[in-house]
Amino acid sequence: MQTQSKPTVPAAVPGDVVGSDIIFEGRGLNKSYGGLHALRDVDLKMYRGEVLALVGDNGAGKSTLIKVISGALVPDSGSIRFDGTEVSFARPTDATAVGIETVHQNLGLVDELDVTQNVFLGRELTQSSLGFLPRLDKQEMRRQTVELLRNFSIAMPKLNDPVRKLSGGQRQIIAISRLLLAEPKLLIMDEPMAALGIDEGSKVLQLVAKLRETGIATLIISHNLEHVFGLADRVAVMKNGAMVGVKRTDETTREEIVSMITIGALHGRGAGHDGH
Amino acid sequence: MTATEAVTATEKGAGNSDVRFRFDNLGLTLVLLALIVLFTLINPRFASFSNMINVLTQASTYIIVAIGMTFVITKGGIDLSVGAAMALSTCITFDLLDNGLHYIPALVVLFAVSIVLGTINGLVVTFLAVPALIATLGTMVTFRGIALLHSAGELYYGLPPELLWLGQGKIGVIPVPIIVAALFVLVAHWLFNLSTFGVHVRAVGGNMEAARLAGIRVNRITIATYCIMGIAVGLGGLLWMARIDGTQATLGTAMEIHVIAATIIGGTSLFGGRGTLYGTVLGGLLLTMLNNALVIAGVEFFWQLVAIGIIVISAVTINNIRENRIAWIADLRTRSGLTQLFENKKGRN
Repeated sequence: MQTQSKPTVPAAVPGDVVGSDIIFEGRGLNKSYGGLHALRDVDLKMYRGEVLALVGDNGAGKSTLIKVISGALVPDSGSIRFDGTEVSFARPTDATAVGIETVHQNLGLVDELDVTQNVFLGRELTQSSLGFLPRLDKQEMRRQTVELLRNFSIAMPKLNDPVRKLSGGQRQIIAISRLLLAEPKLLIMDEPMAALGIDEGSKVLQLVAKLRETGIATLIISHNLEHVFGLADRVAVMKNGAMVGVKRTDETTREEIVSMITIGALHGRGAGHDGH
Repeated sequence: MTATEAVTATEKGAGNSDVRFRFDNLGLTLVLLALIVLFTLINPRFASFSNMINVLTQASTYIIVAIGMTFVITKGGIDLSVGAAMALSTCITFDLLDNGLHYIPALVVLFAVSIVLGTINGLVVTFLAVPALIATLGTMVTFRGIALLHSAGELYYGLPPELLWLGQGKIGVIPVPIIVAALFVLVAHWLFNLSTFGVHVRAVGGNMEAARLAGIRVNRITIATYCIMGIAVGLGGLLWMARIDGTQATLGTAMEIHVIAATIIGGTSLFGGRGTLYGTVLGGLLLTMLNNALVIAGVEFFWQLVAIGIIVISAVTINNIRENRIAWIADLRTRSGLTQLFENKKGRN
């Protein structure tokens, strides 16, 4: 994708991001499926307002790790601190309750519902009519949806259209916006650009860049190193279930990351396994 | 597009979200009107006020049960046991009345039994994970079996006048069943189109996993839809037995196919996630009219079964073609360039 050589997003702002307040810290996370050791003593720290890219080959354990962070999987051992307190998640709603929202690869949208209904799914606004009948406040939800989408200056088709009629990029942006209603502190995205064209992909990149300005930490799984270097403050590399290392994007090179992904070796010292 | 343009586009799209369904139902409304004209041309008696009232009264039970079915099918389920559940609950109620029970506790029993039967369906579907089609096929035979064990060969009749009024009475010139059905449709409209519950029913039917991730209690919604089905069966059964002043263990045989037909003709998707009460009411009226016209024309009853089977399959097929679900037709469409035409037409709306 040649357009990405000129990133459409502001370059990562180093220094003032890393080193600030820690929002998430996982220590010694392990998870096995039968004989398969999918996570091996993984440590990971995230800071407020940073964009952290999680990279690695297929089967490296990226998906398992984000499932553990988002409460979809319970780790066999290890601890998680979030926003200063020790937490443990038995189910996804436990994670959302403390402020961790996840955009899944399949987006979690209901195709038959319209844009507003999807944005407010599970947290619908109601008003009472005739003094006692609770009913959906469709007008207010529509107003807030317009406002939410205006924040991301995206072109929106009719809000009454079922989302199955929308493009991949629009669906992705709706999937992300609906999570923002919950005012998360950490947003996890699983391959947000995977199925998108270049143009739509850059819209999503812009959105992520805007999120950083609001102080939300973002964890992104991506296969695309152009995106990773254009967007992320740091890169975490996994291989065979273990964390190979974490590097600041302004202190590493594509070549180094590629060799970490393929060989699993960490060039130099200092980054990554600081929690061990 | 800039932000302002985006918002303008958005606001253009604002309005009632049910508009789309009403528009979809325009075709069905026209078919209904065309049939009225056709039947009247064949037999002028059809359009008489008394026959129209008659059609509406007959339709009231079907419409009420079909409204319940709309909740269930939109949730992505189905209920084949409605006729059997109606037979069982009305037989038990009638039996108690015959044994001297006052009609008010008898009504409580009627609804309690029908709600319990509906809930059993919901529990089997959720907690035993039996697919709805098989679960309710099983309960259909079970409920019918219990009804036959309870009152095989028995023909109940002779309701207390208070209950008879529900089926045969009138308020002004309008028979009570029509008024009861209209009230039920209103309450259902609030639940289905105006409340959070209705959105969650569509969400669970459209994408169960997404609904669960959004924090919706999927099992609770599922069981609730079968409970509503139970209430509809109880109310529909009450009107039915009051109208004909009687019931028996074979009541409501083949009712499920009529009710499912009304729901699907109305535009509710068998695949879940999309449903319309207005369409269901139209579908119920259409089938009752067809039935009525065939009776007036002296066509043998069994032809109605033939017709209804074909209608159900056709309705789903038409919907499949519209949604491009049939591979070989989709293929033909692409090759002939019709898809383009289709999309453009949609864009103009």
